[in-house]
Amino acid sequence: MSQSAQPTPATDERIKDISRLRQSLIRPELGGICGTVLVFTFFLLTALDSGMFNSQGVLNWSTVSAQFMIIAVGACLLMIAGEFDLSVGSMIGFAGMMIAIFSVTLGWPVWMAILITFTLCTALGALNGFIVIRTGLPSFIVTLAFLFILRGFTIYFPQTLERKTIIGGISDAAQGDWLAPVFGGKILGWLFQWLGEAGLIATFERGTRAGQPVVDGIPMLIVWAIALVFFGHVLLTRTRFGNWIFASGGDAEAARNSGVPVNRVKILMFMFTAFCATVFATCQVMEFGSAGADRGLLKEFEAIIAVVIGGALLTGGYGSVIGAALGALIFGVVQQGLFFAGVESSLFRVFLGVILLGAVILNTYIRRMITGER
Amino acid sequence: MNTRSEHAPIIQMKDIEKHFGAVIALAGVSIDIFPGECHCLLGDNGAGKSTFIKTMSGVHKPTKGEIIFDGKPMHFDDPRDAMDAGIATVHQHLAMIPLMSVSRNFFMGNEPVKKIAGINFFDREKADRITMEEMRKMGINLRGPDQAVGTLSGGERQTVAISRAVHFGAKVLILDEPTSALGVRQTSNVLATIDKVRKQGVAVVFITHNVRHALAVGDRFTVLNRGKTLGTAQRGQITPDELQDMMAGGQELAQLDDALGGTV
Amino acid sequence: MKTILKSLALGAAVFAAPVTATAQDLNYVLVSHAPDSDSWWNTIKNGIALAGEQMDVSVEYRNPPTGDLADMARIIEQAAAAGPDGIITTLSDYDVLSGPIRAAVDSGIDVIIMNSGTPEQAREVGALMYVGQPEYDAGYAAGLRAKDDGVGSFLCVNHYISSPSSTERCQGFADGLGVDLANQMIDSGQDPAEIKNKVQAYLSANPDTDAVLTLGPTSADPTLLALEDNGMAGEIYFGTFDLGENIVQGIKDGVIAWGIDQQPFLQAYLPVVVLANYHRYGVLPGNNINSGPGFVTADGLTLVEKYAGEYR
Repeated sequence: MSQSAQPTPATDERIKDISRLRQSLIRPELGGICGTVLVFTFFLLTALDSGMFNSQGVLNWSTVSAQFMIIAVGACLLMIAGEFDLSVGSMIGFAGMMIAIFSVTLGWPVWMAILITFTLCTALGALNGFIVIRTGLPSFIVTLAFLFILRGFTIYFPQTLERKTIIGGISDAAQGDWLAPVFGGKILGWLFQWLGEAGLIATFERGTRAGQPVVDGIPMLIVWAIALVFFGHVLLTRTRFGNWIFASGGDAEAARNSGVPVNRVKILMFMFTAFCATVFATCQVMEFGSAGADRGLLKEFEAIIAVVIGGALLTGGYGSVIGAALGALIFGVVQQGLFFAGVESSLFRVFLGVILLGAVILNTYIRRMITGER
Repeated sequence: MNTRSEHAPIIQMKDIEKHFGAVIALAGVSIDIFPGECHCLLGDNGAGKSTFIKTMSGVHKPTKGEIIFDGKPMHFDDPRDAMDAGIATVHQHLAMIPLMSVSRNFFMGNEPVKKIAGINFFDREKADRITMEEMRKMGINLRGPDQAVGTLSGGERQTVAISRAVHFGAKVLILDEPTSALGVRQTSNVLATIDKVRKQGVAVVFITHNVRHALAVGDRFTVLNRGKTLGTAQRGQITPDELQDMMAGGQELAQLDDALGGTV
Repeated sequence: MKTILKSLALGAAVFAAPVTATAQDLNYVLVSHAPDSDSWWNTIKNGIALAGEQMDVSVEYRNPPTGDLADMARIIEQAAAAGPDGIITTLSDYDVLSGPIRAAVDSGIDVIIMNSGTPEQAREVGALMYVGQPEYDAGYAAGLRAKDDGVGSFLCVNHYISSPSSTERCQGFADGLGVDLANQMIDSGQDPAEIKNKVQAYLSANPDTDAVLTLGPTSADPTLLALEDNGMAGEIYFGTFDLGENIVQGIKDGVIAWGIDQQPFLQAYLPVVVLANYHRYGVLPGNNINSGPGFVTADGLTLVEKYAGEYR
């Protein structure tokens, strides 16, 4: 370090010192952190003894939150890179249906069905991105088109091939497959077994599984969510590619002038979003053993809402993966928690809207503090 | 620092002509630019200043004429070539992203990396350290390297852009009207920055139509008028009034000047 | 900060009213697969509410907002975690829902399957009983009836194509008629204007169609309008599943030949009664309960008309 070598320039007396506290507060995650604290406080007060915080209850809202997280990570990075993907929900339905068709209708091994689906779906993501870059159309419109195209195929294929819109039997096909447990399996079963035997968590009272813990492991869905959040966070904040993502979304022209390969960054982010949607779909299909034409409806908006609650700007160039993960957590906890609290379920949307509005207002305020605009 | 006359020119523009269809934007402009000098390019709007610098930075190809860079004739196919050769342009509309931190902006497209377990990571410590150092050299007092560019004043942003160009090895720095939108105090900051950069041996091409700004830092002055040079003058050989007259093409402004009592 | 606090305070105020948790000793949850937009389920909501009142137990209705069955599985898991005395749920996709339902049963919660699913599936997941109308059989019965009335070809307006039970109704009807379903089923979507236009388009492309079959008010109401518009009302043989205000009016006007009433009220009401009596006195009916099919025709419409959309 070169302390004292350079004389420190005189400070501008008109810039007020910003307190450390306030400075630490100005970050994209603030909205998400505040929201998480408030939401948990709310439910601890209203739903503490409703089963929301026993092992099943925690697993329930964690699983739902993890689902949101998986698609929120992709949507978050893409939004920071300055683009939207409205086809996420349809991509979930499409990917699930492809796995079902490949493995059940065509009888391919499940691992092959999964790998080919991943390839196909990320290629579709690339196509999305390519069209956006080439035509210069807003990604909003291009991906809206894909929302319909993919949903249409998701209904058309199984109807034509199997005369129905839900294809089951994937669990049987996945028996003994080496790749399926990576998406549909559970880990740490021994820990929960032990906890159950020690009487620390609830066990089944009857049936073939009597005595076994009700929660018998952490679903891979949650592991995927944590891994993707970690990957996304490191990618965004710790790599040069992350800097390019910020730059591409902040001002694509300025980024190009500085030698950032903006097109490549954006297309890769579209592919990553599609990848996340496919992870979501694969976990779902492997867990439930069937693919349905209506899977993933409206999930694109849920992903975008989680990302926005998490502090990202709709206009791009600013945001945080951790924030998006917290947004997903808030979303999941509120959605399931309202049931635990015994609130009329149709009010969920009201609550969600209120949280969204509150978060967006707070985030706008934070951004003004950061950029100093008035 | 007054050894520039003995140096070879870093870039020579010889009889540059540029035609856009029937319009002759440049009709034979010649300029030599030496390392460590601040060469002011003056001219009214429409005099051909931007066409000229775009030719120099590889955006346009000259219709006629020759560009000699470091003693060798150069043909820039696109701005990237010029950039790689060491000709950096700082545009009026900056290549800065307000929402990103100063250090992320500074290294945008040129991020330092370090390897951890075989994976390349963005070396933020190094980036932050260099940014703080460079900013201190330029007299900008940052709260921290993570301060957003949006909180900087226009002059400070220009300074960040200039020091970024210099840090990444610019030999010729073209500044396109860097002071035109700035207040008095910010202008003087930018002019001070130009002075510092020049002293590091970088050739600065300073485009402006403000004679006072030019005279404050310029070593030599070239006036463009209607696509032609009206000659290059050394510092001290020319008065502000003469420069002003040359830019305006003489007569009318002189008359106006009389009428207004010398306030233009 | 303040804004979010304020908005939460507002949210809390909104919820204060419905949260008022009751202190009844028994607590039942009904989980359906219907999206928020499906008005047919209003009868179900009224049915459990009435049963809850009469039996003095607390009841709740829950559904996945978009009708996504994977979300429904989470709701069942959630309901089980909250530990009610009983869960009443539809079983519209065995693959997706059997796991969560069986887990609920195994953790000591009594489950009754209503509406969708089959009696066999209900037994397999360990439910106490099945209350509902077997879909294929109902469609088949309707097909036989239509065949007797001289129908040879038909259009099935499927507004919920992603649900297997909807398709089974159409398939059953086709089998009852003794014809191939083939392209006689259209995916109409849920939007009334779209349904209307699709029905008109199909009928003008296939003018020889003898009959129209709709699967509920969602597709029946727009189909009624479509037939009025193209002048086929009263001409074409029109049957529908389920009832609703417009359907009842259509039966009265002679436009609709019959409505298959699966009596959703019973599907919601009876499980609550059965569960409450089981938990209080240990009595349980020995069989599944078929709430339908019942054919509602122009004769004896008075009560149906009075309570259509509310309890019928």
